[in-house]
This record gives sequence, structure tokens and C-alpha cells, in this order.
Amino acid sequence: MLDFFLLNVTNLLILILVLPLIGTFLLLFVPSSNHSALKAIALNTSCFLYVISLFLWVFFNKSIGSFQFVSKLLWIPFLNLNFSLGIDGISLFFILLTTLLIFLCILISWNSVKTNIKEFLIAFLVMEFFLIGVFSILDLLLFYIYFESVLIPMYLIVGIWGSRERKIRAAYFFFLYTLLGSVLMLLSILYIYYQVGTTDYEVLLTFIFSKTEQKFLWLSFFGSFATKVPMVPVHLWLPEAHVEAPTAGSVILAGVLLKLGTYGFLRFSFPLFPEASFYFAPIVYLLSVVGIVYTSFTAIRQTDFKRIIAYTSVAHMNLVMVGLFSFNTIGLEGAILQSLSHGFVASALFLIIGVVYERHHTRMVKYYGGLVHVMPLYTFIFLFFTMSNIGLPGTGSFVGEFLILVGSFKTNTSATFISATGMIIGGCYSLWLFNRISYGNLKTQYLKDYIDINKREFFIFLPLIFGTIAIGLYPEIFLNSMHMSVNMLVEITHIYTL
Amino acid sequence: MLIFKEIQLLPEIFLGISIIYLIIHGTFISVNNKYLLIQNSVLYLSVLIISLFCFLLINNTIECNDFQIFNNTIIIDYLGSFSKILIAIVSIFCFLMIQRYLTVQKINYFEYSVLILFALLGIFFICSSNDLITAYLAIELQSLSFYIMAALKKDSAFSVDAGLKYFILGAFSSSLFLFGSSILYGVSGTTNFEDLKNLFFWVYSSYDCTQDASDYTFVKDVFINGGLIQFALSFIFVSLLFKLAIAPFHLWSIDVYEGSPSSSTFFFAVVPKLAIFILLVRIFYSSFFEYTAKWRYYIVILAVLTIVVGSFAGLEQKKLKSLLAYSSISHMGYTLIAFSTGTFEGLQMLFCYLFLYMIAGLCIWSIFLMLQLKYKYVKKQNKDLADLSSLSKSNNILALFFSTVLLSIAGLPPMVGFLVKIGIFLVSIEVSMYFVSIVSILCSVISTFYYIRIVKIMFFENSTAGKLYQPIKSHISIVIVCLFYFLLFLFINPTLIYLFSYKITLLLTMTMM
Repeated sequence: MLDFFLLNVTNLLILILVLPLIGTFLLLFVPSSNHSALKAIALNTSCFLYVISLFLWVFFNKSIGSFQFVSKLLWIPFLNLNFSLGIDGISLFFILLTTLLIFLCILISWNSVKTNIKEFLIAFLVMEFFLIGVFSILDLLLFYIYFESVLIPMYLIVGIWGSRERKIRAAYFFFLYTLLGSVLMLLSILYIYYQVGTTDYEVLLTFIFSKTEQKFLWLSFFGSFATKVPMVPVHLWLPEAHVEAPTAGSVILAGVLLKLGTYGFLRFSFPLFPEASFYFAPIVYLLSVVGIVYTSFTAIRQTDFKRIIAYTSVAHMNLVMVGLFSFNTIGLEGAILQSLSHGFVASALFLIIGVVYERHHTRMVKYYGGLVHVMPLYTFIFLFFTMSNIGLPGTGSFVGEFLILVGSFKTNTSATFISATGMIIGGCYSLWLFNRISYGNLKTQYLKDYIDINKREFFIFLPLIFGTIAIGLYPEIFLNSMHMSVNMLVEITHIYTL
Repeated sequence: MLIFKEIQLLPEIFLGISIIYLIIHGTFISVNNKYLLIQNSVLYLSVLIISLFCFLLINNTIECNDFQIFNNTIIIDYLGSFSKILIAIVSIFCFLMIQRYLTVQKINYFEYSVLILFALLGIFFICSSNDLITAYLAIELQSLSFYIMAALKKDSAFSVDAGLKYFILGAFSSSLFLFGSSILYGVSGTTNFEDLKNLFFWVYSSYDCTQDASDYTFVKDVFINGGLIQFALSFIFVSLLFKLAIAPFHLWSIDVYEGSPSSSTFFFAVVPKLAIFILLVRIFYSSFFEYTAKWRYYIVILAVLTIVVGSFAGLEQKKLKSLLAYSSISHMGYTLIAFSTGTFEGLQMLFCYLFLYMIAGLCIWSIFLMLQLKYKYVKKQNKDLADLSSLSKSNNILALFFSTVLLSIAGLPPMVGFLVKIGIFLVSIEVSMYFVSIVSILCSVISTFYYIRIVKIMFFENSTAGKLYQPIKSHISIVIVCLFYFLLFLFINPTLIYLFSYKITLLLTMTMM
């Protein structure tokens, strides 16, 4: 029985979902004064989880577009609410990204978190559980539950381990913006449940809503996902939350939480409401293009290191939105790839900020300068990620942005043109930032005692560098696995609209 | 073959006799001057009485059929028995929790326990009343005990003030109930729910059959248009809304909740709501369903108003107790939405919500009573929200439980409060009340703000000079942990709560047919 459980590949997903909870459970029994044991347990759990989630990729069948590792557990049977799990080519990489980044996050906060370390680690493991759940659940209502549950650990992470007094405001911003955006989605889900009788995703795919219904339902889903992405009028929470969160919190926020929005569009808005998606595409284009240009320009005039990167994230995620609403395979694959590479690059950039913040406890750009003289390795890594942030050929962002622009060029030329200018402005602020930080004279009147990055930090950067280069040089290994699922998604979207 | 059906009322009879013996016991013992001892012994005896009452109830196996006893004035059915068991269990927990509070506050009257038992007796009778007179008497028994419980701390001006307010407004609302019942009696000649149901059902059906209006002009005037009946029913309805603190009639509850001793507030907030809702369901779902169907829109307006008041007014509160009072007001609004749908699912979700409201309320108020600051002036009981900032330092686990229960009450996703809340929205969507559900869900976000503000105060604020909290006794902490895990368990297996409410509603609607 036991080896049946272990050897059966379909149980892999359940194992991955349950492991963070087991880690949490173990952490509960360790006294909070024993820091090394706590960290060891959390690190080993997350590392083990990452390795196991790689097996998910190994056993993933690339020739099927439908869901794999499907398993169903009863939850509230008489309301038709069941716990059905499964992944396809779209969600696979988001799960891998989550497990990798949580693992790195625990490593990042190895020394920087001093207070309440037990609670910190538990918050991260619980968040990992929720995030894996979001990406692997195949039930709309349970998706909502997981989607919203992520708020609570993140709220606590920003609020308790944040840096300044403004953190409380930031935590509120984060919590209430996201909650307010998504409650209408809850009502729509209930409406869908009332209409269809179930919220099982695979059943919903076979159900066609009328045009008016689709429009209302799409709008309410849009409110929720657009807040998460974030699109322009509701992006205000992101710079606040990013700036005030601890480094690990920013990494997970930029790396995974923003992808919940794009994932939601891919998984639910497109296949369930295809006509409405087409109908509202111009508005999305408008908002994303405005977002790209506006946030890029805003990034130029920021003085806070973290705020610049936060606005960069907004710009890049809006570019992803342009790719998503191109409704063709190239654009969608580009969007997923860009999400992935943004997950690597933005996390790395926040990490880079974290490295200097841990040493000097300031994020103001004006206090830094000439770091290349004293921190050469750091500057090299910074340069690498600055370049990949701009989209230098050979890095992941280039492939992603290229595919997005090619895809959206077919659908909307002018939007593509304007969003491509965003990349140029991106070059401006990234290089300007790199220049200010790395070159010039050392500002010894402000800061003394420079130390280059240590071994731990180097090994945190290493997988991110590898990932970025791998996507940049040979994206086929990633695209291979998502081809079938994306094709199927595009087909579903196009069949219903014809 | 049951000849002596009245034996079904044995639990209540036992409770009544026990209370009388408890009074005698307390009176004899209070000759000795060991006040603390009296309080404890009477308290433990009350727990024993309630436990025995609970066993007697479980012993009465009522499955599908219902009995009407004492000249059809009392009904024994599954709804009543289940609610009584739930209320009894909740009140056992209440007794265990208030003991320390009473000791600290030096409320050394053995009458306190006796009053609680009297109130419980009234509540149990409300649960099984099948007659307007029985209902009135039961409500009065409950309310009169509550008035005294509110005013029991004689040396506190707030407490006396709360008791007086509660008494005046409660008596006023009770008189409305009596007025409505008397008009109803004048029109129909009966006060029995069963008779009323049969009468109106007969009138409606025969009027529809004949179509000959000339014979039935009187019937049409009185029953079908029903101006007088609706007039009477509106009085009864308003009086019951008073008891529930629904929005335009909620103003008493804040003052009363805040002024009375916390142990009494615990009872006011948690225990009686379910019973009053059962009475509402018995009157308006079975006896007068044809009339109340017309009122649905007005009930919904009241419900939305209640939610709005509870959500917005709660934002400005500085005291934990009044915040919880507003929170309970907004919860009553959600239940009223479910009540107003008039469907089977609506009733089911109503009972789900009320059960969870009681369990979550039990958790939150137990923790609230446990919060005892290390003050020199030990009787200070009105807790400011700002005081909570030191809770996570002095008792981290308690702060964690507190915030988890708060998030559950707020209806945030991974908690069971979310499940019952979406039940409410689901039934309101099923009867196409889209606007209501949108407004109430937005209000629920607003009310989330004040719940997470407590979480913020507990965890985010670094108070260096805060006052620490007293440690909790071990047996109390076990009780709190059990309650907490029960809440968590209900999320993993919510079928439990749904199935009970499903069975209740099924049996209830079967008997209504």
C-alpha cells in the first residue's frame, strides 16, 4: 500500500501540496528559540519540495494538452464541491517557479530576519501551500479560496517583518485592494455555480454562457485579476507593498503573486468567457499600454531603489497582458515565458536590493555609488540582471518580449508599437539605475565597510542566472511542454467565438 | 405507543425543578460568609444541571415526527431539540468561561447562575413554542432574566444604565409582540401556530377554488387583502427584530452590550439569537407564509441596512466590546438575507450561519473574557483596542487564535466563516437578488477592515511600554484550544454543519406541508 502510494505518479501532485503542511507541522513542535533547527527544517522541506516538483516536469507528458496528475478528493459532496487537482503545460512552470522561489526566500532571510523567525518560516510554508494550490486546483470556488488565502500570510509578512512604519499602510493597501477587487469575482463564481450546478473546471469548459452573462462575469473576473497583475488604475498597492515588504516578501510578491493575475486570465477568463474576452480586448490593450508607458516614466523619477524595480514589474506585467490578449499561440506562449522570466529577473533584482539593504539599511539611490570598486561580483550580477530586465538577446526577457510583440503584432499593430517603446524607456531607467549604483566615486561620506556578496548569496543568485540564460538561449525546453496546452486554449477560445 | 406524550418535556421540567432547588441550595449556603465558594459551587452545579439537561434531550429520540403537547402549545421537533442541544452545549462553555471573570469582578451573587439558568429555560421554551402566548411568556422569562443580568453589577453606573435601557426597550418591544398577538387573536380567534396555519391555508385554498367572490367578501377583506393581519404581523415582526437588534431597532444593543458585565454580554450576544430566529421561522415560514412572501423586499431592505450599519459604524469603534457588538449586528443582517429568500436552501443556509455564528461567537467571547490585563485596578473591563498590542508579546498563541477566529468571522477564504457566508450569497443569487448580494459583499469587505485592524494592533505594533496580560489557567486553555480546533475542523469537513442544517430544514418543511 505504501509503495503503491509512493510510486504512483498521479499522487505526486498531492504529495507536493501536502508537503508544506507537513513542514509547518514539524515547525510547530520546535521551540522558537532554536533558530538553527527551525531554519534547517524549513529549508530542507522547501528544497525537497523543489526537487519533487522537478519530478513533476520529468513525468509530465508533453504530447497531451489536457490535465495530468488529476486526482479528486471529496470535500462537500452534496454541494458538488470537490477538491480536484491537476496541472497542464500552463500551470506546470508556475508551480516550479513557486517551489524554487520559496526555497530561495528561506535562504535569503537566513540572517536578515531576526524576530519571530518561527512565524516567518511558517508563513512562508503556508503561503507555498496556498500558491501550489492556486496553480493546481481545478475547481473555481476552491481556486477563489486559495487565491484569497494567499493574502493572509502575505499581509502578515508585510506587516510584521516590513521595514518602516509605513508598512502598516502598505499591508492595508495590499489586503484591501486585492480583497475589494476579488469579491465581485466571488459573486460571479456563485452565479456560475447556480447556473451550472458545479464549479468543476472541466465541466465548466463544456458550458457556454450567453453573451450578456459573459460580459458581466468577465468584468468581475477582470476586476480581481487586474488588481493582481496589476493594471493601471489599481496598481497603487504594488509599489507600497514592495517597498515595505522584507526582501523575501518582495521576491515572492514579484515572482509569484503577480503571476496569479495572468494565470487567472489564462485559466479562467479566456476559456470560460471567450466572446467577452474578445469584446473587451481593446480596453485591456488600452489599459496595458497606458500602464507600460506611464509606469516606465514613473520609474525614472523614483529615488527609492525598490520602488524603481516595483514600477518596472508593473510595466513588464502589463506587457504580459498585451501578449495574453493577442489570442494566438505565439503571443500566449510569449506571455507565459515572459511571466516566468520576469519571475526570475524581478526576484533577482529585489534580491540585489536586499543584499545592499542588509548591509547598509538604506534603499535611497543617492547614498550608493561606485560599488564596482568594492563589490565587483555584486556589480556583475547586477549588470546581468539589468541587461535581462531590458531584454538583451540571450536572456529570458528577450525571448518573452519578442514572442509577445510578434503575437500581438498580428492582432493590434498600434498597441504593439506603443508597448515596444516601453522597452526603450525600460532601457533608460535600468541603465540609469545601474550607472548610479555601480559607477562613479564611492560615497564614503555616507557608507563605509563594503563587503562583496558572500557564498550564500552567490548560490541564491546562481539558479536565477541559470534560469534566465536557459530561457534565453534555448526556450524550446520550456515551450515544448506548454505547446499542447496553449494550442488547446487557443482552439477553445476561437471555436466559441466563430 | 406513547400515551403520556407530555413526558417529552421532561428536560425542561427537570431544568425548572433544578433551578428551584438551586435557589434553595444557594440561599441555605449563603448563610456562611464564604462568598467565593458559593459562586463556584453554584456555577458548577449549573454546569451539571445543563449537562444533565443535555443528556435528557439526547435521550429523547425525535427523528421524523413531531409532537405537540400541552394542548398544542408546545411543539417537540428535530429543529427544537437540535437547537436546544446546541444552546445547552454553548452555555456549558459559557459557564466555564465566565467563572474567572466573576471572581475578578467580585460579582458574588449565586443568583447570577440562577438567572442564567432561567434565561436558558426561557430560550428553550422559545425554541419549542407553538403558540403566541407560549412564545410571549418564554420571551419574557428570557428577557426579564437578561435585564437583571445586565444590571447585576450594582456599583457600576454603566451596568445599571445598561440594565435600565435594556429593560425599557425590551419591555416596549415585548408589548408590541403582545399587541400584535391580541389583534391576531381578535381576527382569527386562535393563537396557536398550527390552527393559524390551517385556518389561513383553508381560507386561501377555498377562496381560490370557488372564484365566487360574493360569498367571500368578508373573507377577502380580512384574510386575502389582510390589512389587519399584516398590521398585527408587522408588530410581531418588529418586536422580534428588536430582540435581534436588526438595524433600525439596533440602538439599544450597543449601549447594553458595552455597559453590562462582559459575562452577561457573552450570553446576550451568543445564545438567544438562534432561538429568536427559530420563532421567526415558525411564525413567518409556516403560519403566515402567504403574507410574508409579500414582505420580502422590505425584509431585504432591513437586512442590507443592518449590514451597512454594522460595517460602517464598526469602523469608528475604539472599544473591543462595542466592535464585537457591531460585528454581531452585521451578522444578523446576513442571516436576515437568508431568512428573506423564502426558499428551502435559504432556510438551510440560515441555520448553517446561525450555528457557526454561535460557535465562532463562543470562541471570540471566550478569548475576550480571558484577556485580563495586569492592572493595579483589576476591575477595569472596558478593553480599548489599543490594549491588545501587548497580547502577542504576553501570549502569542492566544493572539494567533484570536486573529484566526476574527478572520473566520470576517469571512475570509480559508476559514469556515467564508463557507457559510458564501452560502448566504448563493441563496440570494438563486432568488435573483443581485444588487443585495453586491452591496452586502462590499460591506463585508469594509467590515473586514476592522477585523484585520485588530490583527494589525496585535501583531504589527511594537509597544514597548504596554501592559502585559495575565496568564490563563490550564483547563481554560484546553477549552479554548478545543474550540479553536473545532473551528478548523469545520473547514476541513464542513459537511457536518451542512448536513445537520439540511436535516433540520427537511424535517421542518415536511411538517409545514
